[in-house]
Amino acid sequence: MTFRAKLFWVFTFALLLSVGMIAAGVTVVTRRAFEDLNQQHSDALVQQFQREFERRGQEIVHRVQGIADAEPTVRMAIDLNRPKSDVSIYVNDARGVSKAHQLDILDFAGNDGSIISSAEWPARFGYKLGWVTQPEDWPARGAFLMKAETPEGPTLALVSVATVRVGDNNVFVAGGQRLGREFLASLVLPQGMRALLYLNLDPNFQPTNLLDANGSANDAERFAPIVQREQQQPGEQTASINWTSDPATAENFHALPLEGRQKELLGVLLVGNSQREVAVLENRIIWLALAVVGLGLLIGSLLSWWGAARVTRPVRELAEGAHKVAAGNWNAHVNVHGGGEIGQLGRAFNQMTQQLIEQRERLVQSERVAAWREVARRLAHELKNPLFPLQTTVENLQRAKEQSTDQFEEVFRESTGILLSEIENMKAITTRFSDFAKMPQPELGPVNLNEVVRSAIKLFEAQFGAVGRPPITPELHLEENLPTIQADPALLHRALENLILNAMDAMPAGGVLMLRTAHANGDVQLEISDTGTGLTPEECDRLFTPYYTTKQHGTGLGLAIVQSVVSDHGGRITVESETGVGTSFHIDLPNHPPRREPSIPITFEKEKAKEGA
Amino acid sequence: MKSLDAGAAVASPAEADGRDQLNALVLDRRAGDGMPPLIAPFKMAEWEPGKHATLVANDDASGGRPFVASVQVEMGRTARDRTLDLELGKADLAEIPVEQARQAADRGVRVSLSQPDELLALVFPAGRAATEDARVREAPAAAIDRASIVNFILQKNGEAAGGLLPQWSSGTAFLFPTAADPDRAKELWTQIASAPKLTLRYDSGDPLEQSVAERIVVNAREAGISVTAQALQAGAPAAGVDGLLMRLRMPSPAPRAALVNFLSVLGPVANIDASPLPDPATPQDIYDRERAAISSGRVAPLVWLPQAYGLSARVRNWKAPGPGETWPLADVWLDIPPSPESEKEKQ
Repeated sequence: MTFRAKLFWVFTFALLLSVGMIAAGVTVVTRRAFEDLNQQHSDALVQQFQREFERRGQEIVHRVQGIADAEPTVRMAIDLNRPKSDVSIYVNDARGVSKAHQLDILDFAGNDGSIISSAEWPARFGYKLGWVTQPEDWPARGAFLMKAETPEGPTLALVSVATVRVGDNNVFVAGGQRLGREFLASLVLPQGMRALLYLNLDPNFQPTNLLDANGSANDAERFAPIVQREQQQPGEQTASINWTSDPATAENFHALPLEGRQKELLGVLLVGNSQREVAVLENRIIWLALAVVGLGLLIGSLLSWWGAARVTRPVRELAEGAHKVAAGNWNAHVNVHGGGEIGQLGRAFNQMTQQLIEQRERLVQSERVAAWREVARRLAHELKNPLFPLQTTVENLQRAKEQSTDQFEEVFRESTGILLSEIENMKAITTRFSDFAKMPQPELGPVNLNEVVRSAIKLFEAQFGAVGRPPITPELHLEENLPTIQADPALLHRALENLILNAMDAMPAGGVLMLRTAHANGDVQLEISDTGTGLTPEECDRLFTPYYTTKQHGTGLGLAIVQSVVSDHGGRITVESETGVGTSFHIDLPNHPPRREPSIPITFEKEKAKEGA
Repeated sequence: MKSLDAGAAVASPAEADGRDQLNALVLDRRAGDGMPPLIAPFKMAEWEPGKHATLVANDDASGGRPFVASVQVEMGRTARDRTLDLELGKADLAEIPVEQARQAADRGVRVSLSQPDELLALVFPAGRAATEDARVREAPAAAIDRASIVNFILQKNGEAAGGLLPQWSSGTAFLFPTAADPDRAKELWTQIASAPKLTLRYDSGDPLEQSVAERIVVNAREAGISVTAQALQAGAPAAGVDGLLMRLRMPSPAPRAALVNFLSVLGPVANIDASPLPDPATPQDIYDRERAAISSGRVAPLVWLPQAYGLSARVRNWKAPGPGETWPLADVWLDIPPSPESEKEKQ
């Protein structure tokens, strides 16, 4: 995966992660905010209900007390206090009074609790309203919830009791209002909220007892678990009802128990909060997040590609430059973009290549100077050897001419022989130098390196076992499936001859000469090892330097020629040597030699002999 | 005379009775074979069915010309309006509901009550599976507190009824108990394996029937009996009803005639023996037939109701008519105070 693609995916992932986290965070925060808001609404509605409850209670207390204090009621009480009083004349009073005071429930009861007149159930006269005679401070009691009996069945009512005492007898006035649909309709509900009232008039849940502001509530059975929990354990509770699979239809209900005088559960107020707004908002947030993600992905793609291109272009140019440098093209140059780190890197790269070129030129210059000095030294050395006999011979010849004419002829003949011999030596020296200078360019063709090795070994077979010389045993480890390479067989043969000669010179006491071929990755390798005297690390460092030799009569050109041939084939040669053990040359030749860069001089590649060996 | 609630509409027994009363006042009657007809005391001067009628005194009436010159009859007015007309002096005579008679009297209205001649009874129609078991009929009947109905609902203007004939007519009514027996009612009801829920019908236009029905429901509920009161229009079919309240007006003070009339009404409804009684019938015959009807449990007499009339202060010589009697309008005269002009003339 490219750096640009990586950058794109990192950017995209970061965008998705950040948008997702923001969306999730916003959703959570929103949900909590709505939950808090709903809770506040529920609390407010419960408080409103309680205030309304209290207000109505106070109103009922006031009305009932007003009825009790009214003249007709007092007269009734006085009349009932008389012996053999006739209560039948009051049997219809409660109806009229209840209408006048807007009470749904109104009972006049005698001292023993017998109903004198009942508004909600006129036919109940004469029966006992037992609970009113129980010891209770009714004025202090205020209004309370109770289950009132009506012809239609029991109902929930908010009632108050007042007493009219005349003599030793009381007349009880119990009045109140039904708690039902009308009461719920009077509550002011915020949008999305509703209030329901369950009349706990039966031991088991009865759907018809669940009321809302319009009458019997729909789908009342769904509230059964909430009501049953209240019946089992009264207390404020919350529950959620999912009306459909759509979360937007869910409602959270806050249940508030309504207890009577004896703390009995008479009703359950259910305050419902619709979750529609939350669901809609969450839905919008999700869609908005998706839209942001989509838009972000689009923009991110463009930005990341643009940004990645901006970032990676100089990096790519640097990489290409580095590849060029690795390939030997030290003239590689990158364009510098901007002044950031990448720009600094580009400038450093250009500076580095510039310094490399300068150093290379200085090195080449110094190498050239050193080579010329070495050539001069070697020339001087080589030429000194024949010059000295030439000088001596010419001086002998002059002396013989002056001192002994008779011997002059003989001296002349010997001297000219010597002179010619030394001149031949000098010619040989100049020929070798000339040959080295005239190293031809390789003429490439398909070559099997094994054939070249066998040919070279065969040339030296006679010398390996020559009489008077310690034997040298050649060992060939040639890979059979060695691929052919593009090379000049004559130059390779010449290089191989020099290496074999070098090995033979290194084994004056005989030894083993091992040649091994192998291939890897299309390249072929050749190893030539001897068991000779070996080289010191310093010798190894200078081994391929022209005219450098460790031998008494060497020209120092053999290994330089080998190195030149290998280099001309695009290969490389290294040496491993250990003093007293032997020396190994490793040659790697490519299948197809690259075009030789004219600017690149001979490269010196070497490996130091093992330290301390 | 200005007002009298009687009309041509026959939607209720009371209205039919009113129409009969008007007919008796304006129609000549045959006196017998070979005898001249009895001339009616009044002539119909105006007639607007169901709303208004004007009777004028008939100078040729067999009993002599009535004291009043004319009678204006307003029909279709509610009981409340009739009472108000009386109290406001807009009417001299009006029928008032018996249960309101005491209150009317307390407000200063002269009230005239007849003998209790109308029976209010709880009838269990035949053919209802729920009431085929006699205990199902007997239990709610035993739970009914008739005394409370008389004292509270009728404001003591009535009598508890145990039999089909009133004491003043048959003389044997005391033999039929009227006291409530809630304990027996509970006992009977608990004996029933699958106690039904009973439906009691009453006339939706009759407040008295509604009050009595509701009281029966209370009495029954206190005894553990489930009864529901249901308002239906008079004359509506009684299908699906386990019990219904019926008013039975005595057509005659004679016990035999009254009993025969009652049985003829109850027989088809409650499957009570309505076969003719001997004529003349002995008191024993009448009692036995009455006892048989009560013992069937198909009918539970509740209360005897008198007819109540409100009179203005100037009405004189009014006597509440008994069963089968016409309104004595021909005998009524008005005590009109002399006008200032007539006082001057006297002087």
